[in-house]
Amino acid sequence: MARRGRDRSKRYENVEFLGEGQFATVYKAKDLHNGNKIVAVKKIKLGQRSEAEDGINRTALREIKLLQELQHENIIGLLDVFGQRSNINLVFDFMDTDLEVIIKDESIVLTPAHIKAYMIMTLRGLEYLHMNWILHRDMKPNNLLINDEGILKIGDFGLAKFYGSPSKVYTHQVVTRWYRCPELLFGARKYGTGVDLWATGCILAELLLRLPFLAGDSDLNQLSIIFETLGTPTEEQWPCMKSLPDFVEFKKFPGTPLSDIFTAATDDLLEFLSSMLDYNPCKRCTATQALKMRYFFSKPGPSPGFALPRPGAPSEVLKEEGNSRAGRKRKLPDESSVHLAKKLVF
Amino acid sequence: MEEKGCPRCKTTKYRNPNLKLLVNVCGHSLCENCVELLFVRGSGACPQCNTALRRAQFRMQLFENSAIEKEVDIRRRILKDFNKQEEEFASLDEYNDYLEMVETIIYNLANGINVEATKKKVEAYKRDNKDAIQKNKFKQSKDLQLIERILKEETKEEAERKQEIMFLEKKMEKEKIRNKESLLDELMASDAPADQVIASHQSVDVESMLGKVKVGSSFNETFLPAPKVEEMVYEYVLTEVNSYGPAPPILAELDPKGFTQHVRPASPQSMGGGFTHNMACHRALQEALSGLFFFTHRLQQEDR
Repeated sequence: MARRGRDRSKRYENVEFLGEGQFATVYKAKDLHNGNKIVAVKKIKLGQRSEAEDGINRTALREIKLLQELQHENIIGLLDVFGQRSNINLVFDFMDTDLEVIIKDESIVLTPAHIKAYMIMTLRGLEYLHMNWILHRDMKPNNLLINDEGILKIGDFGLAKFYGSPSKVYTHQVVTRWYRCPELLFGARKYGTGVDLWATGCILAELLLRLPFLAGDSDLNQLSIIFETLGTPTEEQWPCMKSLPDFVEFKKFPGTPLSDIFTAATDDLLEFLSSMLDYNPCKRCTATQALKMRYFFSKPGPSPGFALPRPGAPSEVLKEEGNSRAGRKRKLPDESSVHLAKKLVF
Repeated sequence: MEEKGCPRCKTTKYRNPNLKLLVNVCGHSLCENCVELLFVRGSGACPQCNTALRRAQFRMQLFENSAIEKEVDIRRRILKDFNKQEEEFASLDEYNDYLEMVETIIYNLANGINVEATKKKVEAYKRDNKDAIQKNKFKQSKDLQLIERILKEETKEEAERKQEIMFLEKKMEKEKIRNKESLLDELMASDAPADQVIASHQSVDVESMLGKVKVGSSFNETFLPAPKVEEMVYEYVLTEVNSYGPAPPILAELDPKGFTQHVRPASPQSMGGGFTHNMACHRALQEALSGLFFFTHRLQQEDR
């Protein structure tokens, strides 16, 4: 076993360092056995000494376990797993950028055709996941990765889990807050595919607005922002809402019609959006139902991959831009002091 | 993930995010506050199984399942004494026999099989191998050395990266200052009006910025009218999953065909969260039928 691992670690040659997260460092690498194909190698950190002695990191275990069995155009491909000494390395498809970068790049114009293409790819990936009884539980633009062909793939399965088992109780502390659905905010311990669809609805809204749609700064604030925007749900709209563990009565907000928020959106798009943002999780559309809606069949058709926007500069350059901006701000006081010193010399 | 909570005071992780669950040799968990309360005098009994416990033996709970917790704990204790290494054995077989004996001891203790006899065996081993155990304690095992080394490397790498970033930042700062100085020098030396000198310096600044970020080029591309692409209207294609079995009934058929008749209906709380009994029934049916037609030899034929 050990020897095989060593062979495999030689198979990938690191090209450059891409980023560092809490659990792992990511490198861009060449696959020497496969025509120098560019891949991303995620090296799981040993982390603290105490964890290291107990064995493999649990987030990594989850990711490996689920991704090994999945194969779909719109799901990030786990190409290989190898051990190197006592480190675990996951080899993924190399992805150039993610949807968050595209949304934030102000030089990119997103046409209705682009948005439709992104939605189709996201929902197809989700449909496949849900069909295999897996909830992603962390849908957000940052986790929708895009490769150089413009293909979108769902990534980061660190929170994903099987669903549909009647006896299992799940935690409600999942999904980044802005994309978290009301039932999770009310503390639901059993839920279904609705959690991913609500998040997808928020992502669609964000693609239209180019700003996070429901940006709360605490769990309670998140709920009140949702209700202020979409109106406080009634017992009729969402039966059984009151039996959720952390239910709290909110002030009755009338809400703003979606057509007033998204003034440029077509009717079929608004119909699609409102079915994903339905309060009742049992009535909220599933990924399959969503893909069969009027919006997707009407014109304009979705842009093919090659016509989709690329960020103006590779993500590394973008990051540098951010750094230099921050750098400039920090240096302002310095500049004035230099100025002053010179003045004294004069 | 099941909701973690203290069995004594019923506090959950949700209500108190700072909740620290501790566990003792018996494998039952207690929260920090309860431990403080019950073990004021340093020792007491476990409120769940009445085992006599000492306060000093409480430690952080790592696993949700207490059986695993207990096993890990026992393993740690046993391996402290059974610390022989491969080099000490004449052959691989002997070493493997030794490893198997250790595993048996751990398994027995963790699952309550022949506990007394096993404990005696451990004691006997300890007595017989007193010197060797002591000697090995000072020798760090190879695994530990390896982990230590990797951890060191990790911290080193991190420090190096930090240094590099610092270096780059410093370089940029110096550049800025140099620019400023050259502007001042020029202002002092040149005969041209001050506005012009400043303007020329500013343009250099902006250009160098643009060169880095390449805003210009992307602007040009994106503000052109979007190139006409031949329009393809989307068509829904059913994603198919080969289950290697008879096709299970679809979700909509479950109720009319009576599949859900004997399924426990979901509680209002689950319904409110979007969990329906159809879902569980559908999954169970799918799982029951999938793989029934799966034969490895057929798969091999397909591969060929």
